[in-house]
Amino acid sequence: MFNISSDYAPPFKMIEPFFKFGSIAFLISIISLLFIDVNTPLFDLKVVGWAHLFLLGFVMIVIFGAMAQLIPVALEIGHYKVKLFYYIFPTLAIGTITMVIGFWFKPFLLPFGGFLVLVSMILFLYETFMTLKATTANSLTVKSVKFGNIFLTIAIFIGFLMALALSGVIPFDVSRFLPIHIILVLVGYVTVTIIGMSMILLPMFGLAHGYDDSDVHRAFWIIVASVIAFSIFQYFDFSTLKLITVILIFGAVGLYLRQMITLYNIRARKIHDIWYKHIYIAFISLALSVVFGVFWVLLKSDIALKVMMWFLLIGFFAFIINAHLIKIIPFLVWFERFSPLVGKQKVPMLHEMLPDKDVNFSFWASLAGLLISGFGLLIESDTLFKGGVVLLAFGAFLMFQTVLFILNFKPESEDV
Amino acid sequence: MCSVTKEQVYDELRKIIDPEVGFNLVEMGLIYDVDIDDDCNVKVTMTLSTKACPLHQMITQWVEDAPKKIDGVKEVEANVVWEPEWNISMAEDNVKKALGAL
Repeated sequence: MFNISSDYAPPFKMIEPFFKFGSIAFLISIISLLFIDVNTPLFDLKVVGWAHLFLLGFVMIVIFGAMAQLIPVALEIGHYKVKLFYYIFPTLAIGTITMVIGFWFKPFLLPFGGFLVLVSMILFLYETFMTLKATTANSLTVKSVKFGNIFLTIAIFIGFLMALALSGVIPFDVSRFLPIHIILVLVGYVTVTIIGMSMILLPMFGLAHGYDDSDVHRAFWIIVASVIAFSIFQYFDFSTLKLITVILIFGAVGLYLRQMITLYNIRARKIHDIWYKHIYIAFISLALSVVFGVFWVLLKSDIALKVMMWFLLIGFFAFIINAHLIKIIPFLVWFERFSPLVGKQKVPMLHEMLPDKDVNFSFWASLAGLLISGFGLLIESDTLFKGGVVLLAFGAFLMFQTVLFILNFKPESEDV
Repeated sequence: MCSVTKEQVYDELRKIIDPEVGFNLVEMGLIYDVDIDDDCNVKVTMTLSTKACPLHQMITQWVEDAPKKIDGVKEVEANVVWEPEWNISMAEDNVKKALGAL
């Protein structure tokens, strides 16, 4: 019988710092956008530093924390050595901070930050692969964990070599490997992981059953093949073939979106709560990202590329991650503090652990900021872009407050 | 002969609330059957709304604990099955209405 033991779940105090740090890094990364102009080239070190703060400090750290919790659910087994997460968090957090300072102010720090990030990721990958060895499950989610982590392994080694090159330690062809690093991280790891996890979380939260999942399987394999092909074609500089793989990725994302629509249509839970609102915006943003991606391919427009990245990173990644922060953290807190009280005293429902006002304001401010800044990027208006960023920062601050509120939610008897 | 009734067991199971959706297991339609043998051993055949439920072990433990509050009940076994797969049509109307499925 399929049976997930709660014994597999990592201790709450182990996971808590991942989510706390992630929401602070999200807030700081949004505020730091105020110091980047719309006309700044994408590969300027200011932007690269921002991308590492956002991706490592927010996206990756939250994913790693969530994976500590979700791997037992997804793989139907316990962690190989869950205590490694105690070491993964500080090395990743300090490494990220050091790298960002390196990119923004002191390039000589890059190898040190890069080394710490490398160490944290090797620990994460070791733990994940050893855990994978013990599973017999072979669902799409399991495959996504396998392929996502293989892509991440290659990406971090390339990233570390680039960090050494940028600080002048070794000669390395950064311009040749940078696109491979980006595609492996953004598509190969983050997107593949989100696809895999979404096939557990979305049906679970939406109470969707008995659906045809062939679209997401096709999307997954096309993305995996395209990421591998892109990396090879980029290395050998086959421009046309590389372009075809990018178009294939867009097509695969279209299939994934069609799968999400299928799940949406058959879900039993039709109420439009704050989680659903975040999910709508995440997937609409992903669709917009593909649309601007097509414009980028057709018109070779840097503006289209920037808008595509904007809706991918802030629209899709940030909204889908924040959606799950306000689902997963209440569950963890409830599990830790309230589940032992069931039957002994009244315990809250998970949705009652959310500060409704803050989380709603956070959503609407973030949505307004996403659209205004996105439009600002499109028409190259720095004023509009920064105006939107201020709203996004307000939303990120309220999201941070929401995370703290949930983490501090305790039974009444402990309030003294 | 055991004097414990199915209704008594269902009444106890109605006290178990899924913290995510806020409904009890019986009105969610997650309890498929209750068997009580002559020695007052209870077997609850049940399912969960998803195989990936992170509360799997905890909910089955609650199900095994709840009927023991009835005088006379001896052993309780929670038998989790995945066939038939749960769907919203198995839930009571108040659940369907609250979830927007009615």
